[in-house]
Amino acid sequence: MSRFNPYGDSSGGSSLAIAGADFAILAGDTRHSTGFSIDSRDQSQIADLGDGLFLTSNGFSADAKQLVDDLRTQIKWYHHNNNDHKLSISAAARTTMMLLYGKRFFPYYVNPIMIGMADDGTGAVYSFDPLGSYDREPSRAAGHASELLMPFLDNQVTFANQLDPQTGEPRKRLDLDLQTAVDLVKDAFTGAAERQVQVGDTLEIVILTKDGVDRQYYDLRRD
Amino acid sequence: MSNPSEINGGSAVAMIGKDCVAIACDLRLGLQSVTVSGDFEKIFQYGGNFVAFTGLATDVQTVSTELRQKHALYEMVEERSMEPNTAAHLVSSMLYSRRFAPWFVGPLVAGINSTTGEPYVCSFDSIGSMDVSHDFVVTGTATNQLYGMAESLYEKDMSPEQLFETISQTLLCAADRDAITGSGGLVYVIEKNGKVTKKLLKSRQD
Amino acid sequence: MADRYSFSLTTFSPNGKLIQIEYALQAVNAGVTSVGIKAQNGVVLATEKKVMSQLVDGDSLTKISQITPDVGMVYSGMGPDFRVLVDKARKNAHSNYKMIYQEYPPTRVVVQDIARTVQEATQAGGVRPYGVSLLVAGYDDNHKFGLYQIDPSGSYYPWKATAIGKGSSSAKTFLEKRWNEELELEDAIHITLLTLKESIEGEMTGDNVEICVVGLPNDDMLGFEGVPNVQGPRFRTLSSQEIQDRLDSL
Repeated sequence: MSRFNPYGDSSGGSSLAIAGADFAILAGDTRHSTGFSIDSRDQSQIADLGDGLFLTSNGFSADAKQLVDDLRTQIKWYHHNNNDHKLSISAAARTTMMLLYGKRFFPYYVNPIMIGMADDGTGAVYSFDPLGSYDREPSRAAGHASELLMPFLDNQVTFANQLDPQTGEPRKRLDLDLQTAVDLVKDAFTGAAERQVQVGDTLEIVILTKDGVDRQYYDLRRD
Repeated sequence: MSNPSEINGGSAVAMIGKDCVAIACDLRLGLQSVTVSGDFEKIFQYGGNFVAFTGLATDVQTVSTELRQKHALYEMVEERSMEPNTAAHLVSSMLYSRRFAPWFVGPLVAGINSTTGEPYVCSFDSIGSMDVSHDFVVTGTATNQLYGMAESLYEKDMSPEQLFETISQTLLCAADRDAITGSGGLVYVIEKNGKVTKKLLKSRQD
Repeated sequence: MADRYSFSLTTFSPNGKLIQIEYALQAVNAGVTSVGIKAQNGVVLATEKKVMSQLVDGDSLTKISQITPDVGMVYSGMGPDFRVLVDKARKNAHSNYKMIYQEYPPTRVVVQDIARTVQEATQAGGVRPYGVSLLVAGYDDNHKFGLYQIDPSGSYYPWKATAIGKGSSSAKTFLEKRWNEELELEDAIHITLLTLKESIEGEMTGDNVEICVVGLPNDDMLGFEGVPNVQGPRFRTLSSQEIQDRLDSL
């Protein structure tokens, strides 16, 4: 007799976030799969939490959905209790941590990434482990292709291992412009879709600036 | 970590450029999380052919030595140099001869065919299944990281200088996201005219 | 019983000769003449197909054998011994070469393999030397066309043109006069026929002469077409009609 396993392997493909000086990007593919079967080619994994916050949670989809519901409830109560005051991303990140750690002994099987604009106007990316450990980072990848995406982001966003040809010193981190960052996201995902079967179909990119939200879609391989 | 292929750690990558090939490996030798050595080279030269072996260090040493013997014997009997595709098939049959008690190695072969001038790279699984590639091949514990880097940095028809830069960045950034690959790198760039450049890369030591 | 003969039957005579090998050579020199000529663009092997009776079905008899797609050989001496060597050479080419390198062995490697087998029979216990000399013709990308002779001692020699068997010495004298560097494959076939004509008793026909060539790749023998970079075998047996046509124009 096998025991019931509360965790399944149905999941979204992969997601990725980049923080800029005045923008934040969150991107994810729209393929949803269970094992090697494709459940959907058009399933967005980017949740709009309101208050200019966006979240992806790669891992077990049912848990990911429940986490989003929990967060929306928390935000709603925050508005009720605080005269509709907007929840800052730092507070939202702390709330996410509380929710995740609250299930310390029956965790949500997810790796969430949250983006928003920080109080000082800079783009913010927060990433979490399933138990709530979290940090603000320049960039982060999660999901099936996280191992493929992450070193590329290190190299192209934080210039890891790059030296300045003039000085021979480590290349200074300069703020990426938005177009470069969007191009990086596309390149990263096209590469990941070549090698990771769970990643593909369409790339959904959410771009956050002080002017608001822009959504872009970009074709990936469908095989 | 009872998987023999992941005890010692280590990775390698090979890429094709315009009239050139490059092959690179890290220099780490570890026992699970403990780093034992930072100068464990995983690329071996057999005439004009360069073979990287990743996996279980003891098997890396055994197979590379055994290949040295077979390669030398071939060149003596045939009185000619071995072409990269021949070397690859030799590696493949060596590995398959141990189909039911395999060597825990993941080899790469890189070289330039001396008659056609065609660059050649090929990767294998531990029992000799060959994957001849038109662009790049990767192996080792940082396989996923290397694929991610190579897929996005690689371009066709790179010059030897561009190829060196690309393979180096691919290796270093992949190594930084794999705890048991790193401690420096080693790159060979092989050109059609026979020029071979060997360069050591410094990298994070953690 | 077996161990009573587990010593070599080929032992030195007091004057330093291996008599068994000399006897084997005598068997070769009593055998039907075979000729081989290397030209610029190919090699030809030829021999007389002797049938001892009108009743023998000559069509199903062949004396020249293919070893690999680009290598073939002919013999003078004992037919049964030849077939053993053909089997061993074919098996060797695959087990000790193609299965390892995914390509066929070059001519000289085939020759060395056969020569080793032949030599072992002069030293091993309980066996006699092979009663054949062989002419091996082949092509490989590195050394291009090659023609070799292997003797019962295990010695092998590369030739431009040579003959073995009963009429070999007069044939070789003939070839010395006829061979030159500019020879084309068709000229070589022509000279081969002229050479054999000297030793054959009676009329020469497409049925009592056997000819094989190693020349250009025969893509029509692949059994398919449309695949780039795939070559057909270079070894080809001439049909009796093809031989007859050439005899008619002699």
